[in-house]
Amino acid sequence: MENDELVQNMLLELRRGSLSLAVLSQLGKEQYGYSLLKALSDQGMEIDQSTLYPLLRRLESQGLLQSDWRIVDEARPRRYYVISAQGKAVLTKLKREWSVMTETITKMLS
Amino acid sequence: MNLIDKYVAEVGKHLPLLKGRADVEKELKSTLEDMLEDKAEQAGRPRDEAMEIELLKEYGSPQNIASSYNPHPYLIGPRMFPFFLMVLKIVLAVVVVVMFALASIKAVAAYPLFATDFMQIIMQGFGNALSAAVAAFGNVVIVFAILERVLPDKEIGDFSNEKGWDPASLARQPDPDMVKRGELIAEVVFTVLGLAFLNGLFNLPIFTSEFSKFIPWINAVFLADIVLDIYLLFTAKWNALGRVAKVIIEAVGIAVTVMLIRTPDITLFTSESLLSFIKISGEAGNVALAAHYTTSITLIVILIIQGIELAKALYRLLKINYKTK
Repeated sequence: MENDELVQNMLLELRRGSLSLAVLSQLGKEQYGYSLLKALSDQGMEIDQSTLYPLLRRLESQGLLQSDWRIVDEARPRRYYVISAQGKAVLTKLKREWSVMTETITKMLS
Repeated sequence: MNLIDKYVAEVGKHLPLLKGRADVEKELKSTLEDMLEDKAEQAGRPRDEAMEIELLKEYGSPQNIASSYNPHPYLIGPRMFPFFLMVLKIVLAVVVVVMFALASIKAVAAYPLFATDFMQIIMQGFGNALSAAVAAFGNVVIVFAILERVLPDKEIGDFSNEKGWDPASLARQPDPDMVKRGELIAEVVFTVLGLAFLNGLFNLPIFTSEFSKFIPWINAVFLADIVLDIYLLFTAKWNALGRVAKVIIEAVGIAVTVMLIRTPDITLFTSESLLSFIKISGEAGNVALAAHYTTSITLIVILIIQGIELAKALYRLLKINYKTK
């Protein structure tokens, strides 16, 4: 039982690194924060709002995302995010690294 | 103003001072409205306050939400921490040494004194050293906390020095012309303290007017030393100009020390004051005489150190000349 907390913390660390990759992968077409959250959740990637929004801001400040405010329906302004050219280049590299990493780890764990 | 607006305002209040605070608030409100709409749809009834409360409870306390936007959750982050520790150690060591030196000088200057006074000065010394160390710690933390926030992320490499490090340097002989920055900085710090001490900043009446005549000379030597150290910190390498300057400064320093040794009664531990002390407590006569000689012994030690420094500087200067030929 006492290992539960340890496992939770390690899981958190594992997830933290992969979240950027997950977010970048889903922003090929533009989304606002809440729709992105639902898209991630639908595919099994649960993420807290308090994690997602700061992450979006950070990725944008790094030049990997672009965003703008738009009023699409119901007169509610929403901030739409989409991957930038630099983000695409980074994502391609990250994808390659990710598959190498998962392959290695899977081999090790089997 | 509904609950959601109040919640958004509350988060805004706790947000760190960053650009785009209004942006964060606007996005948060938009998200909460979306979520509330979803909730109403799922529940099959229009939104109400109970629903808002449930949503906000799920979302989390405004403080937590606001703190998740903090780009600098550390006072001093991991990139700065090793450098911070290094500077802290140096500063604390210097502060403690200086405070104890001051207490010792005070104890000697208060001579002749009784055991209780002596104890008091020692205790005061401890107290002063402790409070000075705490103050120094606070100052270093403030400086690094500011650096953490002001320096852009790209500067990290400058501190880790990873690129500049070459394993081959482990095998190489140290270059005698490379300056040692740590030593230079320590020398500047101690020379400034010496200047402050000599010019009466600490109000320690241990020197006579005989000594005061030398103060301009000593000041000149110390200032020249500081200027040379700063010059070397910039050039990072000894050159002929630096070596010549070092030789001249050491030579003048030796001249001043020799003159000081030849001048009687430069400190207040004079023969008369010691004699009166010996009269009060005959048994402590030896101690008093030792104190009298302390001045001369100190000056001779200084002279020896200066002699060694001059010899080193001359040797290096001649080596430069030899190399260029």
